[in-house]
Amino acid sequence: MKPRKSLINLFSLLLLVSIALAACAPAATEAPPAATDAPASDPMADLVAAAQAEGMLTTIALPHDWCNYGEVIETFKAKYGLEVNELNPDAGSADEIEAIKANKDNTGPQAPDVIDVGFSFGESSKAEGLIQPYKVSTWDSIPADAKDPDGYWYGDYYGVLSFLVNTDVQPDVPQDWADLLDPKYNGQIALSGDPRASNQAIQSVYAAALANGGSLDNAQPGLDFFADLNAAGNLIPLIANNGLVATGEIPIRITWDYNALAAIDTFEGNPNATVVVPASGRFAGVYVQAISAYAPHPNAAKLWMEFLYSDEGQTLWMKGYCHPIREADMRARGVIPADLLAKLPDVSGAVFPSLAQLNAAAELITTNWDAAVGADVQAAP
Amino acid sequence: MNFWSRLRRFPLWSWIWFIIGGLYFVLPLLATFEFSLSWDPEIPFKAYQRAFEDNDFWETFIYSNILALATIVVSIILIVPTAYWIRLRLPEARRLVEFITLMPFVVPAIILVFGLIRIYSSPFNIPFTDIRLMQPLTNFKAGTNILIVAGYMVLAMPYMYRSVDTGMRTVDIRTLTEAAQSLGANWYTIVTKIILPNIRSALLSGALLTFAIVVGEVTLASFLGVDAFGPYLFLLGQHRAYEPAALSFVSFLLTWLAMGLIQLFTGGQGQAAGAH
Amino acid sequence: MAQTAIQLKSSGTATTNWRVWLGVAPFLLFAFLFLFLPSLRLFTASFTDSDGNFTLSNIIQLFSEPFIVNAYKLSIQISAVTAVGGGILGFLMAYAVTVGGLPRSLRSVLITFSGVASNFAGVPLAFAFVATLGRQGFITHILRDYLGVNIYDAGFNLYSFAGLSLVYMYFQFPLMVLIMAPALDGLKREWREAAENLGATTTQYWLRVALPVLLPSILGAMILLFGNAFGAYATAYALTGGRIGIVTIQIGAQIRGDVLYNPGLGYAMAIGMVVIMAVSLAGYSWLQAKTERWLR
Repeated sequence: MKPRKSLINLFSLLLLVSIALAACAPAATEAPPAATDAPASDPMADLVAAAQAEGMLTTIALPHDWCNYGEVIETFKAKYGLEVNELNPDAGSADEIEAIKANKDNTGPQAPDVIDVGFSFGESSKAEGLIQPYKVSTWDSIPADAKDPDGYWYGDYYGVLSFLVNTDVQPDVPQDWADLLDPKYNGQIALSGDPRASNQAIQSVYAAALANGGSLDNAQPGLDFFADLNAAGNLIPLIANNGLVATGEIPIRITWDYNALAAIDTFEGNPNATVVVPASGRFAGVYVQAISAYAPHPNAAKLWMEFLYSDEGQTLWMKGYCHPIREADMRARGVIPADLLAKLPDVSGAVFPSLAQLNAAAELITTNWDAAVGADVQAAP
Repeated sequence: MNFWSRLRRFPLWSWIWFIIGGLYFVLPLLATFEFSLSWDPEIPFKAYQRAFEDNDFWETFIYSNILALATIVVSIILIVPTAYWIRLRLPEARRLVEFITLMPFVVPAIILVFGLIRIYSSPFNIPFTDIRLMQPLTNFKAGTNILIVAGYMVLAMPYMYRSVDTGMRTVDIRTLTEAAQSLGANWYTIVTKIILPNIRSALLSGALLTFAIVVGEVTLASFLGVDAFGPYLFLLGQHRAYEPAALSFVSFLLTWLAMGLIQLFTGGQGQAAGAH
Repeated sequence: MAQTAIQLKSSGTATTNWRVWLGVAPFLLFAFLFLFLPSLRLFTASFTDSDGNFTLSNIIQLFSEPFIVNAYKLSIQISAVTAVGGGILGFLMAYAVTVGGLPRSLRSVLITFSGVASNFAGVPLAFAFVATLGRQGFITHILRDYLGVNIYDAGFNLYSFAGLSLVYMYFQFPLMVLIMAPALDGLKREWREAAENLGATTTQYWLRVALPVLLPSILGAMILLFGNAFGAYATAYALTGGRIGIVTIQIGAQIRGDVLYNPGLGYAMAIGMVVIMAVSLAGYSWLQAKTERWLR
């Protein structure tokens, strides 16, 4: 006697439930009809029309407070009438790549169209055939060492590693990496990620190397520096975020300057905080954009790139305190508003590693972090 | 009577454990709440105002609640008959099923979600032909909902099964079944009218656990592109200082309220110990 | 009646055996479709290296690399500690509101609260504990300012194995409460009365009657707690920055890192976790078989 009846009930309930969910789920907004525009010979208008026909763009790993992506996305939506589907804002670069791989056959809204990943991931994605080339109209003004000559990936913005300091709790602001070793900062410093996995954290160690006698080819002094910092008890193992800085638990957070500046904005005066770009050891970290080879909405993706690399898009990033990759070009043409320029910290002397140097340093740091910091808790035998 | 006079004695130890436990639970919440109020000395609820200005808060919260209820219902339909059948007729399957229900702990959610996408984003063809049976689940909204409910069921499986199994252990399944059968009941009646009511408090536990899991879940929802509460909280709170604390406190309260409602509707907490 | 009893007790001859398995078919089908198939990659990818070729090196590394062996030891330790600790405390709380004679309303409160607390984990939980017991935490302040006790000077450190265990308890013992409360309901009052009529003290009642009856449920709940802690990731990561290298964090570093990584190794470690859960389950089954004698 098999519960055949309950099976039928099961399936009908499943059906009912999914219908109910489909009905109750928030409705998708309709894209407005394509603009009736300039004559067909204008490639930009064609692209806009094609993108609007697709109606949607799927992005991934774009937190709203990172480089002002919130405003970038809203402006893009308002300007072209496209819907933007935002997947996991917390995704790391590896997650983004995995998302492309997992969604190869998928034309649904889970497949990312565009990615924003760490510098090393540009080449590796190209090698794995996960991205497609596209050269934006402003291609020539992107510095040569920040893009792939074939157009597969291209740098979007950069920042410099800095210290975010909660001045209410620690009024004595360190000015350089060496200052961090001072005993008055005992138990007050933390990284923004795990140096075995997080881009930001690894590059923090790399940056410390530059200030500690190392170079772009030698990241070992960075490991030594953090070993000292840890031995002195100044470094705590927490993953720093803005909440922890605000409570005063971690008054000094090592993070990208744009994150630090955005944090100060969100604090709105409580607590008082400041950003310090260290006097020596200025390390610039570049992120790159690419279009997925399996993008379900390739035209929307291309339109997104055009937008990001237009003066408008680059300026919006600058509002988020990021240095857009076309900054030199825009400065030369004088198109950056003076008040924005004034807000950006002085990062003169910042060094950019090459891809090879970055990979070598990352390898060194990830494998030796445990040994250097020696903070790995050993299990009882 | 001897027993009643004992009962009148004040349950000192019970109160002690309860208070210790209560303190342990409440203090961290209090700390979060206190921090969320500390943004602006003049406007203590500033963080909350900011958090609620966004319409999406309610939309996503309600949607997640609906998903949670769906997950609970389908889980119960799947797991209760299974646990019942195993207890009654198929003890050999017990270890296998228990092993399966413990697997969600060791399969990271991110692997699960990418696996689900990979498999269910390809069209369902009849093998060796090009005849399409069905569109891939990921392409349409209802399909994605089915996928995510299935994913949630997998995540909640350990808790739901364990609750149901523990509940059934304390009830004499065999006798009840025999009695019902001798009165002419069929399987459906037995399960719905006899077994389910007797394991009500266990079902409630399982339902509450499932509910909390679904409403707080982030990985599955955010990679499947579902507008659930978890991803919304995440999107908002990552880089802020005070709003996340306010939001986590509020979502704790709201989830607690929702659970209170569930408890109310399922008719309460089952029997008090030993009462018949 | 006898007819029905015979029907029930027969677990089938060879011809009817497969029909009995049909009863669990829906569950097995569901598990196959939505758990095994998606996780298959776990198995296949652990035998591939970064270039996609077949290799056994990932599996070998599980035993040869000290940091991996250490990771498993740590994970097992923290899971065991919080399973037992959370189990005991959770049992006591469940006892307090069921058999222990507290008002009924408190039971509702505790049960619903436990429901929410059991899933309160990750960054919000870590943050809540930092705000309570961190160096600037409010309990730390109270203890220092009003009682003159500086717990950090005394050696307490939230960012340690002990601290992490303390935080894990927050979702472990509500889980225990939720599983044990219905089980405690099943303790019939008649048994207590009968025991007392025979002259048993409270201790004897518990040792000889109640605990043996409850032991299978307690063990079942503890293995759930063990698995729960074993698979936890976000809380440990947020609180200790990956410094306490438990298995889930190592897996995360391989699979989700921002730098070039070796996912095959990550998947191999996940397979290792599956094996460990299987072994734990075997141990628990053995224990349970021993204790269930009391119920038959």
